[in-house]
Amino acid sequence: MSYGQGPDDIAEDFKSALQDLSINSRFEISNLTIIAKENTEHAFAIAESLKLHIKQTPPQKKLPAFYVLDSIVKNVGTPYTLFFGRQLYATFMEAYALVDTSVRRKMDEMLKTWKEPVPGSMDPRPVFPPELTRPIENALIKAKTSFVQAHQEHLKNQQQQLNRVRSTASPATYRDTPTPPNAYRPPPPNVAPGYAPNYPPQQPYPPPMNGQQYSNQPNGQQPYGLPPRPPSQQYPPQVAAGPPSWQQPPSQGYQVAENSIARLNSDIDKLITTSKAEWAQNPYDNSIGTRLKALLDLQTILQNQQLPPDQIALIKDQVDQLSQASQAANKPQLPSTPVYPPVPVVVAQPPAQQPSLSSILGPSALAALARASATPQPVASMQAATQIRSPQPPYAQPYQPPPPSAPTATSAPEASSLLDRLRAAGMLPAVSTPTTTSTSSSSVPVPPVFPPPYLNTPPTASRTPLATLSNDVVLKPASLKERRPHLISGLYERLGAPCTQCGRRFQADEEGKKKKTAHMDWHFKVHQRMAEAEVRGQHRSWYVDELDWIKSREVEDESGNATTIANNSSAATTTANDPKLQYLAVPDDPALANSLCPICQEKFEMKWLDEAQEFVWMDAKKVGDRIYHASCYAEATKDVNTQIKRGTPEPAGVLGKRKAEASHSF
Amino acid sequence: MIPGLGQAAPTATFSAPTITATVAVHELRPESEWRFEVAIGQKIEVRIMSGTAELFGTELALNHVYTFRGTKSSIYTWHGCRIEVTGSCEEYTAEETPMLQYANTHFALEKLRDEAHQRQGDGPRVMVVGPNNSGKTSLVKLLTAYAIRTGRQPMVINTDPREGLLSIPGTLTATPFASIIDVEQGWGSSPTSTSSPVPVKLPICYYYGLASPEDNTKLVKPILTRLALASTSRLAEDQIIKETGMIIDTPGIISQGKGGYDLISHIVAEFSINTILVLGSERLHIEMQKRFSAHRTSTGESITLVKLDKSGGCVDRDDTFMQQTQEAAIKEYFFGDSRSTLSPHTQQMGFEDVTIYKIREANALSFLPGGMEEEATGLYEKVEPNPGMLHCMLAVMYATTSDSQDTVRDASVMGFVYVSEVDDKKRRFKVLAPMNTRITDRPMIWGSWPEASMSVIG
Ligand SMILES: [Zn+2]
Ligand SMILES: [Zn+2]
Repeated sequence: MSYGQGPDDIAEDFKSALQDLSINSRFEISNLTIIAKENTEHAFAIAESLKLHIKQTPPQKKLPAFYVLDSIVKNVGTPYTLFFGRQLYATFMEAYALVDTSVRRKMDEMLKTWKEPVPGSMDPRPVFPPELTRPIENALIKAKTSFVQAHQEHLKNQQQQLNRVRSTASPATYRDTPTPPNAYRPPPPNVAPGYAPNYPPQQPYPPPMNGQQYSNQPNGQQPYGLPPRPPSQQYPPQVAAGPPSWQQPPSQGYQVAENSIARLNSDIDKLITTSKAEWAQNPYDNSIGTRLKALLDLQTILQNQQLPPDQIALIKDQVDQLSQASQAANKPQLPSTPVYPPVPVVVAQPPAQQPSLSSILGPSALAALARASATPQPVASMQAATQIRSPQPPYAQPYQPPPPSAPTATSAPEASSLLDRLRAAGMLPAVSTPTTTSTSSSSVPVPPVFPPPYLNTPPTASRTPLATLSNDVVLKPASLKERRPHLISGLYERLGAPCTQCGRRFQADEEGKKKKTAHMDWHFKVHQRMAEAEVRGQHRSWYVDELDWIKSREVEDESGNATTIANNSSAATTTANDPKLQYLAVPDDPALANSLCPICQEKFEMKWLDEAQEFVWMDAKKVGDRIYHASCYAEATKDVNTQIKRGTPEPAGVLGKRKAEASHSF
Repeated sequence: MIPGLGQAAPTATFSAPTITATVAVHELRPESEWRFEVAIGQKIEVRIMSGTAELFGTELALNHVYTFRGTKSSIYTWHGCRIEVTGSCEEYTAEETPMLQYANTHFALEKLRDEAHQRQGDGPRVMVVGPNNSGKTSLVKLLTAYAIRTGRQPMVINTDPREGLLSIPGTLTATPFASIIDVEQGWGSSPTSTSSPVPVKLPICYYYGLASPEDNTKLVKPILTRLALASTSRLAEDQIIKETGMIIDTPGIISQGKGGYDLISHIVAEFSINTILVLGSERLHIEMQKRFSAHRTSTGESITLVKLDKSGGCVDRDDTFMQQTQEAAIKEYFFGDSRSTLSPHTQQMGFEDVTIYKIREANALSFLPGGMEEEATGLYEKVEPNPGMLHCMLAVMYATTSDSQDTVRDASVMGFVYVSEVDDKKRRFKVLAPMNTRITDRPMIWGSWPEASMSVIG
């Protein structure tokens, strides 16, 4: 390192050059690439500087910045690939969320080329290892699927037209599909490796690899890409045809209609108003302030960023939970006061007017949201973590809690009556005398027909409070004809508020809340895992055999969902595709079955693995379309891998846990 | 993996809907039911806009879009609701339903379960009988769903080979239900290598392989006995299921005749049934009373017998519909459902590598003159792979090739393979298997149910 040319100076030079980069200028991009190439000893600083630039530069300047990154990794490669590989997901997704559709399309194209080897290079490895690109792809697939669904929902009447447009964004795009003819022109021979050959003068930024173009429209400004190609060539044909029922993209779950975001915003607004009022009432209650802050952060994020739909759905669930719970509390007929004749029709109501965070949800929910998003292992959530932690500049000022004395809103006096109503509803524990008088609604107090026994003693069992209801039904024709609305309510209100994803109800007590939070985490993770599995390939498991089945148990685990803890085959079958395991089922595809390890050019050792009940290749690992020796691959990508993987479980350990699913015979 | 198979196959079967989706909003009064039929290959989307609604007892989430494909179903509301429906289907709303009776049946069972809990005893073992299309399966599903909502874990048992429960037709299964039932896809899914949006269920499967239990009572009885044995063993060890008890679905055919009543008695005895719900038929009710009024279970309990009304929503499902449902179940087994695509493996095997038993339809034999001894011929006939097997399902059994036929019969099913190609000359054949596991060391059973189905792969 020389004086005056320390990493900081280099980074500074690089940075100022970047600042000027506002268009897809071949010259500028070449220039920056050369700087990067000539200063690989400062690669870390340069990479960090570029990452920071991508993060901070306004959306319209993000694409050129990405082209610099792209150019550097393809033309210089190591060690930039490693440094950009760190947080590649966040770098990519954060930008993706902020840019417009045309830029997104170009980013999609760029991402595709990252999955391929650098054209003309002897290195068979993709630009970035699949471990880095796949999570991005998965997140995009998920987001796009939801987006398509939301739009189909929204624009039913223009569906056909829409299908034409949107089908190009369907997940099938990202499957292993035949790549269009390679349009890359190999560099002329006898040219020194490096930057120059790929950038013939007078050419725009290099022809994108694999025939993909960065631009669909000829760009006057020396475009970064080839002339356009009809989009239809880029997508597998089956996408356009009506897909058969069992082959469509996941259709359940995180569907976020446009208007639901608007609704979400207004719900949050209301919750904020209420919380402010509550804060005013209880100025010394820090938990209210904390929650209010969380809500405001949430609002900021929603207003400034385009979150992927599943993140929104998750937030929405938390908010709905608040709204619905308080909505239920606002109804004149409370769950705890069963009435004859039956509960009146629950008609559509405007979203909650008086939600109370503290009483319904508890402090854990938003924290749980953040936690769920911030868990490092599920890759897609990294984005949320970053976004939640870093709201965009315009709203960067920290939240100032209103002065305790501030007479916020007229709703303040109602807050206490809300609490009363919640208590009456059994949603708040404590307070021995349920107050049924309500200041805000003109409801006639309804005398409870049954004394609700659980009201003062919230049930602790995981079973419902139904057991405490008087149940006189016997299997006799006359008894079976009697109307018992209080028992029906044991299937509804008394079970608590429903999950917005699946309708399962959760009690409002501590245990119920805990379960619900875990349950929402579960929904979130399942969608993530499904998207990942969709790419990886998945299959039906063998049924368990008698002994395992008899020994297995359906348990409520921490996710709040029933799972089976037997040595069942569902556990066993995940292993073949699990990259962490150092063996692989022998591929059926003849092309693959004869393949050699791209790194050492050796064959794979095949053996019958009794525990797995499969023919396997030992020490094998599938990466993208290729199969490598796990050990070769680990060696070749050591640095990257140590970041990505957190320990490699011993295969024996995993196998040991799931004893052979097929080993019992009679 | 079979590249392209999953993608290419089904396009031929379904045509892309070309009509523009229609949107309808239905306002349901309290205690009414919206009944709908979606043709095979079609779908509708349903959203509950307000109120409460349930589908066979499972509550539907507000504002969640549910997709229904090729099904006959209904949505009931206790409190009234507004439903938005996108897509076309045959539908109407019914105000008259037996739901009050059904819900009360659940509450009566709840009472018995509470009592079982008090005395640490067994919960009710409920059998639902009734003719075909009387709504047995719907009632079983409703009672299961209500039990789950109440925090129970019922053991649901299917003794009807005509339709599978979490498996393909021809199987008899037992499944503990602890988590929400899938509302869009039958009963849900058995485990796959990935996660499922609705928690998977873990059935134990036995293979009968014929459409009607009366086709071969000598085969079905021991299988039912084995199913009861496994279920009872599980209950003995699993306290929460033990308290909740069993809910047993039965084939309609056994409620329709003399031979059938004999099978009902067999089920009652093997599963220690103490509650019989008779759907629809007064005659059957009387027959059941005659048969079981003096009956005592192994533990000395008497049997509670009650007749319930048949729902007006029960529709006759014709053979075409049943066949399509059957094919859909097979496809789903290998390829997954609309939410999650599975990729089966192709395996090629030599004729010599496998042991295949073909089921004899024994009851047909018994009409032969001269008292031909079935015992001599056995339940199964050992056969070589042959072109007649093309497009058939084979059950891969948890047994060894050297096991006796009785042992094979009593074994539970490991899984199914689908014969996709038979090459008589090269003496090799190809099957589609859920995963890449060697199966040649296990005996396979070839039945006539489910029927051969071309459309699974073509
Ligand atoms: Zn849920
Ligand atoms: Zn190697």
